Amino acid sequence: MSRFLFPKWSNLLLPGLIAAGAVMPLYAVFFVAYGFSPKTLDAGYQPVQPVPFSHALHAGQLGMDCRYCHNTVEDASHAAVPPTQTCMNCHTQIRPESPKLVEVQESYRTGKPIEWIRIHKLGDYSYFNHAAHVNRGVGCVSCHGRIDQMEVVYQSQPLSMGWCLDCHRNPEPHLRPVSEVTNMAYQPEFELTDTEREGLLAKYDIHPSENCSTCHR
Amino acid sequence: MPRVIIYSSFVLLLLLAVPPAIVAKIRSTPSEGRPIHIVQDMDYQSKFKTQTPNPLFADDRAMRQPVPGAVARGEVFDDPHFHEGTLDDGSWASEFPARIDVDLEFVERGKQRFGIYCAVCHGDAGYGDGIVNERAMTLMANADGPLQGTAWVQPKSVHAPEVAAQPVGQIFHSISKGIRNMAGYEAQIATEDRWAIVAYVRALQLSQNAPAGLRAEATR
Repeated sequence: MSRFLFPKWSNLLLPGLIAAGAVMPLYAVFFVAYGFSPKTLDAGYQPVQPVPFSHALHAGQLGMDCRYCHNTVEDASHAAVPPTQTCMNCHTQIRPESPKLVEVQESYRTGKPIEWIRIHKLGDYSYFNHAAHVNRGVGCVSCHGRIDQMEVVYQSQPLSMGWCLDCHRNPEPHLRPVSEVTNMAYQPEFELTDTEREGLLAKYDIHPSENCSTCHR
Repeated sequence: MPRVIIYSSFVLLLLLAVPPAIVAKIRSTPSEGRPIHIVQDMDYQSKFKTQTPNPLFADDRAMRQPVPGAVARGEVFDDPHFHEGTLDDGSWASEFPARIDVDLEFVERGKQRFGIYCAVCHGDAGYGDGIVNERAMTLMANADGPLQGTAWVQPKSVHAPEVAAQPVGQIFHSISKGIRNMAGYEAQIATEDRWAIVAYVRALQLSQNAPAGLRAEATR
């Protein structure tokens, strides 16, 4: 009876396994950091809304100001989704019979709100204040992206805590004059010098806090 | 080394590249899928926030509508001049309410608000040639798809003689309650801002029909 002999190539198995054992944890760490990050899991959410409203047409092509519809943004923490009446300011006369507006007409008739799907959502333990930001020169585009180019709106930024802190620790690159907050194409880095942006920091009395209680109240 | 081991380790290496590739795809393309929170923490709490639904009520709103006749803080109707633009005898006010200082800052506020709420239809200079008017005219000319009931009347120019002759109270009332095809903006624009818009409309009217010599007088 012949004895079983391990073939010569089996000598490679041990170093091979050691190499795999060293690389696999790195692979796992990388995968979790990359794959489970809010940039992967949260950003890019683009639900189908009950009404195919196009921001690209209204805010982009027509150039309507964000505040025409989201008119609470300068006074309240919440940038309100407009009431159906706001749509009907124009759409009683412009394409009132469009099939895209059926839900809007229905809501206008019955008084039942259109059930828009909320896209930009923070954890329920964090309290973001729109007014505090737009009244101090943080543009809409910094958090919401080029809404004026989106046919269907999606979340362009991760809205994670680390992402908030990036700006709270170094706000200057994102500051612009308050008159330009709703200008989606304004780029502070090209249109203002560093000194001018630092000037805005003083002008608007900006002290972005990193205390927990600033957002978690 | 047997071929099968060599090939299967290649396949294994290739398979390892699949998860990162899927992640890269997710990161680069918007999708309809709801955000997935692997560690929930307390991201979704059973409480009602602004403009959220509440199935307990027939209209599904968490935010209740005010009871008819309710008066919100700061919205006491104590001054028909300020709130409606009328005097005690019911005629249109021809002056701004006493509580408002019509200064440069106020007119500039009006200019900004006019730009947000009015210029879309009335145009930056108030001639009734805003971008929404242009769009509606394009639709009326059948130049961009079916009409679908579009019936547009060009917005009034604020420089029309009959508008220029209106007292400020009447212009304020038109902005607040709407007129002809225009909807009222009292829910959308704060009372003081509506007066600021009136002040800016007055400035526009003056600028477009300035009597000869006015500029010379102002710059003297």
